[in-house]
Amino acid sequence: MVRRLMAFIGWAGRYVWSAWAGACGLLCIAAAWQGAHEFYGSFVLPSPVETLHEVAAILREPWFVRAAGETAVRSLIGFALAVGIGTLTGAIAGYSFAAMRLMRPIVTVILGVPPIAWIVLALIWFGSSGGSAVMTVVVAALPISFAGGLEGVATRDRALDAMARSFGGGMWLRFRTLTLPHLISYLFPAWTTTAGTAWKVTVMAELLSNTGGIGGELATARALFDIPRVMALIVAVVAFALLTEYALLHPLRDRLERWREAGLPWGVKR
Amino acid sequence: MRLVLERVGHAFLGRAVLEDFDLSLAAGEVVALLGPSGCGKTTVLQIAAGLLDPLRGRVQRHYRRHAVVFQEPRLLPWFTAHDNIAYGLRAAGVARAERAAIVAQRAQDVGLSLHDLDKYPAELSGGMRQRVAVARALAVRPDMVYFDEPFTAVDVGLKRILQDLVIEAAAREQFSALFVTHDLWEAVRVAHRLLLLPRRADGPVVARAIAGEPGRRRERDIFALVEAWSADPAFRELFDGRESVH
Repeated sequence: MVRRLMAFIGWAGRYVWSAWAGACGLLCIAAAWQGAHEFYGSFVLPSPVETLHEVAAILREPWFVRAAGETAVRSLIGFALAVGIGTLTGAIAGYSFAAMRLMRPIVTVILGVPPIAWIVLALIWFGSSGGSAVMTVVVAALPISFAGGLEGVATRDRALDAMARSFGGGMWLRFRTLTLPHLISYLFPAWTTTAGTAWKVTVMAELLSNTGGIGGELATARALFDIPRVMALIVAVVAFALLTEYALLHPLRDRLERWREAGLPWGVKR
Repeated sequence: MRLVLERVGHAFLGRAVLEDFDLSLAAGEVVALLGPSGCGKTTVLQIAAGLLDPLRGRVQRHYRRHAVVFQEPRLLPWFTAHDNIAYGLRAAGVARAERAAIVAQRAQDVGLSLHDLDKYPAELSGGMRQRVAVARALAVRPDMVYFDEPFTAVDVGLKRILQDLVIEAAAREQFSALFVTHDLWEAVRVAHRLLLLPRRADGPVVARAIAGEPGRRRERDIFALVEAWSADPAFRELFDGRESVH
């Protein structure tokens, strides 16, 4: 128990420490931003510091908390639906050749229709409610999870499957111990992409359909020419996307895929 | 008889690999199945182990439980050595606490330290991985074990150690075994008798008994026998180096 706790603390420490490298990348962007600000001036592009002040200001305002909550709920529902439906149908397609033949073109069609067209349709179907944002997220992000699920199941190791069958392992055991761990390594990239897409597309749909949330606030700020507020809202959305990925999905992946780290030569580990 | 194959025939995409093949294995008997590559040795093993349904013929299994040791270790990369050894037990529904004791015993049997049990396959050497695979097979207390060229990929010194391990386990636990190999020396070391499959499906199967008990034979006698059989016309196909034409 104590050993396990120590191992967890060690892992968590390493994970947090690795944030320095990520911070370096972000600071490079900030430096470029500052440079552009000094060239174009505050009216076109507020400096990073001004923007951070504005972020600190809006974080304290109740309307922002409400808007961020709306956007978060919508992108979360969209994410859950896209990942759920996409992974499930993808996995079915991976198991059944016939299902794959049937579903691939459907996914290609969904992929081919531009998201903006889906927003127009969703506006007509759902009106000015959160439903249009959710639907747009689902439609935009579903093909990624579908492809992940399909590839993951289709490329499962049949030699390991034969080994499990030779011990009389049932369907459920084989799925849990052989297919699922393999599938997860295909699903995580799909899920991280979906999480990023969910935030972006929700804000876009909200802005275009004027249904509140951060997108709605962005539309208002644009109408008022409040450039620092526009920048602050953008930074907030990016921060949310980063937070979902690095505080939620990556730690989860790390915990689930510890065996992968074991294969790396010493010194390459993170 | 623990295992009986009667007039078994199989074909892949219309190409016959086996025809009217008969085999019977008595309790505690180790039979080596030899043959040039592509002659259908592995097919026989897969049919016997129930991993493949034969097109013709009958397979009778009169045993409780079998285990297969494959050419590659076939370990689950996301499980530690401990969990890999326990895999067959888990499939058989043995409780977790009970599994741990069996795993520790089997690890010791195949020469793995307790320290190695916490490692993932990626952290083990090729020989250790194959030891884990052997331990996984022995853990379920099989009365029939199928070996599919299990030690092809390990070096000669280690091969001998692993063969001795199998010989010892077979004598101790009285399981029957079908040992597929293309190595005559290996067959003569581990088996009671050997069967040589012909390259063509309709060719004659050569059967030879090997004098003495596996593990009790002197190295000198083993080499003499291998030497003699190498010159034997019946074993010619094993050494002519030609691959089967598909």
